[in-house]
Amino acid sequence: MNEKMSLTELQMVIRDSLYLALPDLYWIVAEISEIKENFAGHCYLELVEKLPGDQNIRARARGIIWSNRYRFLKSLFENMAGESLRAGIRVLIRVKIEYHEIYGLSLVINDIDPAYTIGEMAVRRQQILKRLGEEGVIEMNKELEFPIIPQRIAVVSSKNAAGYSDFMKHLTENAFGYVFRTSLFEAPMQGADTEAGVINALEMIASQAEHFDLVAIIRGGGSQTDLSWFDNYNIAYFVTQFPLPVITGIGHEKDMSVTDMVAFRALKTPTAVADFVVECMNSAENHLLEMSEEIIRLSRSTIDSAKLRIDSCRVKLIPVARMMLSELKGQLSGTIIELINIGKEYIVRAGLLPASQRSRLAAACKASVTTRNSVLLRHSQSLSKSLSAFMNLKFSKLESLEKSIRFLDPVNVLKRGYTITSMNGKIITIAGSLRKGDTIETMFSDGTIGSKVLKESGETQ
Amino acid sequence: MAKKEFSFNQAVNEIEKILSNIESGELDVDKLSVEVKRAAELIRQCQKKLRSTEDEINSIFRDLV
Repeated sequence: MNEKMSLTELQMVIRDSLYLALPDLYWIVAEISEIKENFAGHCYLELVEKLPGDQNIRARARGIIWSNRYRFLKSLFENMAGESLRAGIRVLIRVKIEYHEIYGLSLVINDIDPAYTIGEMAVRRQQILKRLGEEGVIEMNKELEFPIIPQRIAVVSSKNAAGYSDFMKHLTENAFGYVFRTSLFEAPMQGADTEAGVINALEMIASQAEHFDLVAIIRGGGSQTDLSWFDNYNIAYFVTQFPLPVITGIGHEKDMSVTDMVAFRALKTPTAVADFVVECMNSAENHLLEMSEEIIRLSRSTIDSAKLRIDSCRVKLIPVARMMLSELKGQLSGTIIELINIGKEYIVRAGLLPASQRSRLAAACKASVTTRNSVLLRHSQSLSKSLSAFMNLKFSKLESLEKSIRFLDPVNVLKRGYTITSMNGKIITIAGSLRKGDTIETMFSDGTIGSKVLKESGETQ
Repeated sequence: MAKKEFSFNQAVNEIEKILSNIESGELDVDKLSVEVKRAAELIRQCQKKLRSTEDEINSIFRDLV
């Protein structure tokens, strides 16, 4: 051992030996335990290997993806696996062994097979699901009664997540004007803190579960995100035991996480969750409207059938009523005829009564008249009798008067020797009234003579 | 939680009961209008609830229920 080698020489010998022994590219399987991108866009990883069920690291190596290759592999992997290259996933990578005298051994990654990781994740998911299945809890959240109106929503999300604002926008601007009350319980939606953060948020909600109708676990969609954070036994188990229905919208187009599988309902995006709860409200309202229409329809038909019953009663009633009416009419007309007859009889009887009274009156009148007549007659007779007697008396008186008159008649007197002197037709009874020379007339019983006064009375002759 | 809060579920149950009562045809016409009025009121309240916040609902129904 006389020859001394410098460190550089040794490193170069190692490098040459390595390159000689391992000249090719090799497909290896490893778990990413650390990954970071530097300012130049190169990606530095720590690759490890653990045995199943053992956290102890059996092997470790440094990996590098140069920036030009990293840009391509990163998007290839994310598009295919729906998963970013991150710590905790197992990858199948194609590596070239490089040895640097300063930095030592590095595995330069020039290819990656996403199918391996997909399968790896599927296996892991299957293991979690198998465990949950054995515990009999997978269906527990799905078996909860879903609220008729999911109006009070506990949201597990990160305030900055694009999905959260989309979710809120869809909820508040729903076309039906439904009002929701949401409370945000913040939790990281990706990365190593996801498990603890989400469980903590769920615990907070559970402690006041009576204030909420459901839980929505949401985060921004797209293939850029890491679904596998929710392929987590503890989160999934917590969801199965949760007292409220859990709706997920953790944004994956192709695949479902275990959390999605045990949730009451898994939807692809936060907006789909918002639309779903709006739809629930709408179907509750539609149910109301349907019942309302049904009530109106049935009420109408109830009323219609009642009307129909009344109508059929009326139809039946009309002939019966008519019959009853005609019967009554018959009875009535019989009664009327009877009444008329009785009336007539009464009238006749009544007629008879006045007739007899009339005749009685007439008779009475007649009798009265007759009596009066006879009285009159008697009176007239007695009157005429007394009149004639009176007349006779008067006549006899007249006769005697006539006799005496006749006796006193101047003629008779004249006959007895008396005369009547008159002048100018005037009887002169006083001699003194005559003057000498007056012409006087002297009436005798057998005629009249004229004479002149020769001597006045008192004058001596 | 106060018991006096308006319950959408209870209201819907009551409406359903009224509906099945009417459906059975055993409801006489006299009771029909009372039941229909009650159902209409419940439906109105339910629709109001869909569009109100919790506080609004509580203040609306505090006097009603």
